Formats: sequence, C-alpha cells, structure tokens
Amino acid sequence: MADGNEKAIACNIGFIGAGNMAWAIGEGLVKTGAVSSTQIIVSAPTDNNLGRWRQLGSKTSFENGDVIKNSDVIILATKPNKLDEALNDAIRTLPPNEVHSKVFVSILAGVKVDGVHSKVNAVVPKSRVVRVVPNTPVAVGAGASIYCRGPTATTEDLNLVKKIFSCGGICEEVPENLMDSAGALCGCGPAFIYIMIEALADGAVKMGVPRAMATKFAAQTVKGASMMVLETGKHPGLLKDEVCSPGGTTITGVHAMERLGVRSALMDAIEAAAKRSIELGNKY
Amino acid sequence: MADGNEKAIACNIGFIGAGNMAWAIGEGLVKTGAVSSTQIIVSAPTDNNLGRWRQLGSKTSFENDEALNDAIRTLPPNEVHSKVFVSILAGVKVDGVHSKVNAVVPKSRVVRVVPNTPVAVGAGASIYCRGPTATTEDLNLVKKIFSCGGICEEVPENLMDSAGALCGCGPAFIYIMIEALADGAVKMGVPRAMATKFAAQTVKGASMMVLETGKHPGLLKDEVCSPGGTTITGVHAMERLGVRSALMDAIEAAAKRSIELGNKY
Repeated sequence: MADGNEKAIACNIGFIGAGNMAWAIGEGLVKTGAVSSTQIIVSAPTDNNLGRWRQLGSKTSFENGDVIKNSDVIILATKPNKLDEALNDAIRTLPPNEVHSKVFVSILAGVKVDGVHSKVNAVVPKSRVVRVVPNTPVAVGAGASIYCRGPTATTEDLNLVKKIFSCGGICEEVPENLMDSAGALCGCGPAFIYIMIEALADGAVKMGVPRAMATKFAAQTVKGASMMVLETGKHPGLLKDEVCSPGGTTITGVHAMERLGVRSALMDAIEAAAKRSIELGNKY
Repeated sequence: MADGNEKAIACNIGFIGAGNMAWAIGEGLVKTGAVSSTQIIVSAPTDNNLGRWRQLGSKTSFENDEALNDAIRTLPPNEVHSKVFVSILAGVKVDGVHSKVNAVVPKSRVVRVVPNTPVAVGAGASIYCRGPTATTEDLNLVKKIFSCGGICEEVPENLMDSAGALCGCGPAFIYIMIEALADGAVKMGVPRAMATKFAAQTVKGASMMVLETGKHPGLLKDEVCSPGGTTITGVHAMERLGVRSALMDAIEAAAKRSIELGNKY
C-alpha cells in the first residue's frame, strides 16, 4: 500500500562538499519531493555552509568517512583541487576495510571520470563512478544536467543518477569528450542568462519601467521564449521571424542588438568556458 | 454541478485579424483549456491565415483591410452595441481605439494589451491599460484571457511602449541568444539538436531561478561563478563585447519604434 511518505528515490544520498552546487542539488531533491531531507548527509571542512542543510532537516558532519559509510550514493562536490584532501580525510575517518561498493557521483568541473574512479577505489574498493555536470536550476526543478559513465558503472547506477538529476529538469548521457562543451553550455550558461536578464531589465528601466516590474517581466519573457523553443520544436530563427512584423518594433530592436555582435559574444562565452574546463581537467 | 465541458472563460471571443499574435493568443487559450475552440471566431481580409483556425475548430470569416469600415459594412445597422474590445495594435493609444470603435459599435469599452507569443505555451508576459470606460469586470476578463499560464499586469499607458518592448519584442532577442548559445556549443563539438535543446532548457532554468528565488540576477550570477572556474571565464568573454549594452539598445530601439508607430495612427 502506498505510504504517503514514500519518496521517488529511496536510498541515502551523501554530499562531500557543501557549496552552492551541492546545495542546489539537495534543495531540488527535497523541494520536488524526490527525497526526504533526512535521507541526506553532508560533510565539509568547516561549519560555514552546513547550517542551511541542518535547517533543511539533513544530517551534517565534519568527517567524510561518515558520509561515505551512511550513504548509498555519494556526490563529490569539492573543488577539483580539494578532492585528494577530501579522500585522505575519508581514509582517516572510515573504519578500515569495512566499506566498499558505493556509487560516487563526481561533479568536479573538468575532472575526467577515470581519474576519479581510480582515486575513489583506492579508498572505497569496488565502487562505481558517474561524472555529472549539473546546473543550479536543478534547485527549481528545471535543471539541464549531462553525465558520462565510469569504467564499472552499471545500468542501475546510471538510472539512479539520471533520476537524481532529473527531478523536474532534463538529464542526458553524453560521451565524455563532450562534457567540457556541453558543460560550458548547461553548467555555466545560467550565469550568461542572468546577465542578459539584468541587461534587458536595465533597458526597460532606462525607458521608465520600475525595477521590480522590469526584472520580473524580463525573467518571464525569457522563460516564455525558452519554452517556445522547447515545446514547439521550431528553429529559434523561425520563431524570431514570427515575432518580427515588417517595419515593427521587434525587428528594430533586433537590429540594435545585432549591431554589437551579441551572437559572437555568446559563442565566445561558451568557447572560453569550455576551454577553461579542458584546462582544469588537465590539471587534476 | 460541474460540467466536464465548462471552461474558465465562458464568453465568445472574436479576433479581427488572424496573424501570428492572434494565433498565439488563440492557441494558448485553447491549449490551456481556458476556452473551447468553438467559442472563437476570426476574420481576416484573405483566407491565408484562416485555415489553421478552422483546423483548431474555430469559426472564420472574411473582412477587408480596413477592419472598422468593413465592420460598419457588415454589421446590422444600429443593432450591435456594448461590446468589449481588446486592442493589441502595437503603439496605438487606447483613447484613439476607443473613439474609433465607438463610432461603429456604440457604448463599447476598450482595453489595450501588449501580449507576447509565449502565451501560446502558457508562459506569456502581457501588460494592459484601460480605456476611458473600461470596467473592473472588463479588466478582470482581459486579465483572465491573457493569464492562462502566464502573467498579465496593468501598467500606466505611458509605460506600454517600454514594458511592451521588453515583453512583446523580448522573445525575439531571446531566440537569437538561444541560437547563439547553441552555435557556441556546436562549434565546440556538441550536435545541433542537443545544443539547441540544452540551450533552451538552460535559459528556461535560469529564468525560473530569477522568478522563483527572488534573488538579484547579479547575485545569482555570482553564485554560479566559482573562483578561477569555467563560468567566470565565460562571463569575461561575454562582457568584452558589450552584450549588456546591446540588450539595452534593443529595448530602447524597440520602445522608440513603438512610440513612433503610436504617433502615426
């Protein structure tokens, strides 16, 4: 009989690292009802970021071994240059030879899955790794995440990871050699869009619209336009044509926008972010 | 007793003009279940745009370009009065529409709306202002029509050009941005269909973060930009070409064109 408390994801989820991306994932999981906050345990070197997790109802710890022992899936959410330190702490705090066969999800920017697999298996034998590039809108159930599999990841592992990152958003597998590029789009993309929303609002404010209204309408307009692309399946160029009546207000605005090479700037942004991801990947 | 066929909006809705914006409004109303397609009738000078309305299940009719003159021609004399008109004509002041309409259909009320095409997917951003005799019920009905799934708010008429440039024209600017983000990803090896889908989903998610967290877009941007990371590197590349300025230019240019058009009619 269905229990009102049954959640879509039954297992325990741990986070090593409690920064913004970890928080967005945790928040999204709890807010969309996919897990109960008590299924989550989070560790970090200091208490700085842990308070909000406790407020959510999750357990927190200063020991990474704690998280690994008590979780079925462990999300590695440290900065790339902190992974070794975090795994050393796990060695120190895990009961020796007792813990093995866990699923690890690495969200470390740019770090290859095979590398994480080796490092993790030195601490927790027989573990499987999946690498994910998520994005912060998972927090509102509208994420765009991509993943690739480690050498021993099973189909169940992939399905679980897909479930975790899909609640309300999309989550798709890509070959690892596309993680830097697709990740630049999905992972970094939101920042580029926040800038665009602020700029659209600034334009409206310049023309007399109060700030709060300008920001709200800018964000709503951006939302609606994106949904038109997603739901109609029409080419964005065609959708643009359909808004641009001859001699009208829209085509006039389009011309002003094209003049400064916005398209080029956005391509630059994706390219630069992707290249930085490759750089980071080569460092660790 | 609730009839399965009861719709949120019970009245009959007519469109004079059958172009893309009218279609987006009609589609949105029917798809979100706010009205049944049979409550809609549409007229246009030629049959070019009318087929899709008939396919939707709505009634269609012919008029020539001069809509109001044709209406005079085709209305039974002195019989029809007291209707509610919604004007979505870009840049045209509501008082002007009110006068012209009342010369044809006495005792009518007018509301001016700047809608946008995402009403078609229930995520529109529409603004309206009231004509001289529009009542609270009229405004509520108009708000209902344009709200199905989206937002619809009243603004003073002197802001219709600016807010309209943002909401009405904005989608085109965003389609360009989605295409450009996808182009960037394609340049870096991502297949086109995946690039477009992820670009659009990323845009959607980011906008929802602004709407639902209530945080300043600049703060949200800061939260994605880890020190020395991929995102801040991309941000720098984007800022270099003055994207912010270009988008302000776009809004300003569209608003000024709206004012120009308003002064012509």
